[in-house]
Amino acid sequence: MRPSRASVCVLSVLLTLCTCCTSSHGHRIVVGSKNFTESFILGELIAQEIEAHTSLKVERRFYLAGTYICQQAMLAGRIDIYPEYTGTALTAVLKEKPGSDKARVYQRVKSEYESRFSLTLGPAFGFNDTFAMEIRGEDARRLNVRTLSQAAQFTPQWRAGFGYEFMERPDGFPGMAVTYGLHFAGSPRIMDLGLLARALKDHQIDFAGGNATDGLIPALDLFALEDDRHYFPPYEAVPIIRQQTTREHPEVVAALDSLKDAISDVDMQKMNYSVDAQHQDPQNVAREFLRVKHLAP
Amino acid sequence: MIEFRDVSYCIGTTQVLMNLSLRVARGETLVLLGRSGSGKTTTLKLVNRLVSPTSGAILVNGSRNDHGDVIRLRRGIGYVIQEAGLFPHFTVAKNIGLVPKLEGWEERRIRARTEELLQIVGLEAGLAGRYPHQLSGGQRQRVGVARALAADPEILLMDEPFAALDPLTRDELQREFLLLQQRLHKTVVFVTHDLREALRLGSRIALMEAGKLVTLLSPQEFVKSDDPWASAYVRAFGGALDPVPNRGTS
Amino acid sequence: MSLLRFLIQNHSQVLELTLEHLWLVGISTIFAMLIGIPLGIVIAHRTAWNKPVLATANIIQTIPALALFGFLLPLPWLGARSDRLAILALTLYALLPIIRNTYAGIHGVDAAVIEAGRGMGMTESQLLYQVELPLAASVILSGVRIAVVISVGLATIAAAIGAGGLGEFIFRGLAMVDDRVILAGAIPAAILALLADFTVGWAERRLRPR
Repeated sequence: MRPSRASVCVLSVLLTLCTCCTSSHGHRIVVGSKNFTESFILGELIAQEIEAHTSLKVERRFYLAGTYICQQAMLAGRIDIYPEYTGTALTAVLKEKPGSDKARVYQRVKSEYESRFSLTLGPAFGFNDTFAMEIRGEDARRLNVRTLSQAAQFTPQWRAGFGYEFMERPDGFPGMAVTYGLHFAGSPRIMDLGLLARALKDHQIDFAGGNATDGLIPALDLFALEDDRHYFPPYEAVPIIRQQTTREHPEVVAALDSLKDAISDVDMQKMNYSVDAQHQDPQNVAREFLRVKHLAP
Repeated sequence: MIEFRDVSYCIGTTQVLMNLSLRVARGETLVLLGRSGSGKTTTLKLVNRLVSPTSGAILVNGSRNDHGDVIRLRRGIGYVIQEAGLFPHFTVAKNIGLVPKLEGWEERRIRARTEELLQIVGLEAGLAGRYPHQLSGGQRQRVGVARALAADPEILLMDEPFAALDPLTRDELQREFLLLQQRLHKTVVFVTHDLREALRLGSRIALMEAGKLVTLLSPQEFVKSDDPWASAYVRAFGGALDPVPNRGTS
Repeated sequence: MSLLRFLIQNHSQVLELTLEHLWLVGISTIFAMLIGIPLGIVIAHRTAWNKPVLATANIIQTIPALALFGFLLPLPWLGARSDRLAILALTLYALLPIIRNTYAGIHGVDAAVIEAGRGMGMTESQLLYQVELPLAASVILSGVRIAVVISVGLATIAAAIGAGGLGEFIFRGLAMVDDRVILAGAIPAAILALLADFTVGWAERRLRPR
């Protein structure tokens, strides 16, 4: 009947609109990030570098809720680049056993991503955001512990807190507890990453699974225990890019190259601190960093 | 033309028809008369195989109607039902042209035939573009008849076609039916529960009761009959029956 | 920055997410129609299958969306891409209204009309395409309308598993604790649902038999 043919036409027009918009982004680059401070600072840095060095329009799609969501968005072509960590890519996405050699992990991730997902890695940003097991500075000094092995004996008296992903990931809590023989009082509390440091400071927990570049470590007088048994794999921060994007826009690759080894552990800590503790705008923090390092006007 | 040979029909444990044997001659109007539940509608539907007999056979034009393509059978038989059953989403013209279209006639031929039929059933040509809901009951029923005649079938099955109409319209349509028959000489099987209609329209009346054929008589014979059921019927209609009013020769 | 200015400034992202949303809803509705309408026709003609089919569709309907996404995630081919998964889930949820309305629409066609058609020598497929479907079209479309409106809402949840669409704004806004971002997803989604209801409803009315 005629009217239903009309509706079929309208529907097919809508669908073709959708398909032509989701395949490539024309002269737009979409930068994604996960939903914690460090990730969107890195996302901002990537976005601003591309804006400064190319004529492409950059769209930001930040606060994606986790590694899986970012991976799906990359595969579907909804985002073109996002900042990831080599260790996370290795264990959570590729589901392989963690390694300890930085360069080998990078190469492994790069080659697997290229062959399996048509995604590639840009050069590392220069810092290693591995997991940092934090205790209060006062406890570290009083009990004279510097390493995880030393801390193990005190764990039965301590309550622990971890982020959700850390609890579930194979390279997270389960393996660590076994490697170091940690036995906490009660089951660990699961909370948002941003709240861990404060909970530690306020004595709600005594042991927190944070990150090495947590801005609040120096600010709140927290101490990061040494991973003396090298349990945690390297977590070099790298940009992940769709290979199609590198082919269509080689200028993006050049822009990312300028960020190679540009950020040290301390640099990242400072930027995280500015946002988390001083409540500055991540866009401004990123812009300031690029200006100081002469990477962008 | 149509023959029922010892036909029986059961649904589950209910015996709807029992050992029905009946012959319908070419060109005659056979009326199936009876009350509700007597099996007359079922008998009608056995002719175009809307219903299949449990035992026995129905012959149409000498061959059994369960041999051969049922679609071909039905397309060669006109079917008129009580509520007309017109397709509400088709115009009058499209309704009438249904079977010709199915048979693949070309547009021109269908249009010509439609005009012809509208005239035959007494409807103005302007109604061709209307929809059934825009017509009166009488007009709808005329369209139903036109539709049944469209492919010029030899046999016409009519299931209480005028029962839902007001008496005046019914009278009008009955008169027109007689004129139509005079002109077209179709073989008609006509179901009704109204004795007056049966006497007026039928060349023979087959009285049915509880699934059995009770008696088969001409209208004149029926009125004078001694058969208990027939006379009960006549009495129920209060006498004052003229067996042959306005009837043409059959 | 007001919501309106936010929408204008990020219009290309709003447009992109809206199109993603439409894609999810559109494709799953089409699949649901391709499966559901024939199924509805079958159970309208063979009433023995009526109860099991409708019961199954009903059960699927009662599974909470996020739970269904969770069940489907571990599957090999489907779980690899969350938009495939989302489309499958949305298709499943769209089935019940479409099957049920197709069944009701066909069942509701006047029996006298069908009998007249059959008596005049229409084959079963001629009856289906020329009589039953056109007369049931309005009711069937009503089922499609319900399915589309449900899908627009459910597709917002699909963003939770990374399938994109307007739900992404909502979830991102929640993480950022930014109302404008939440509304930038919620309001277009609501508008989409209303638009779908309106346009399909219009088609429904056009097709209603007189």
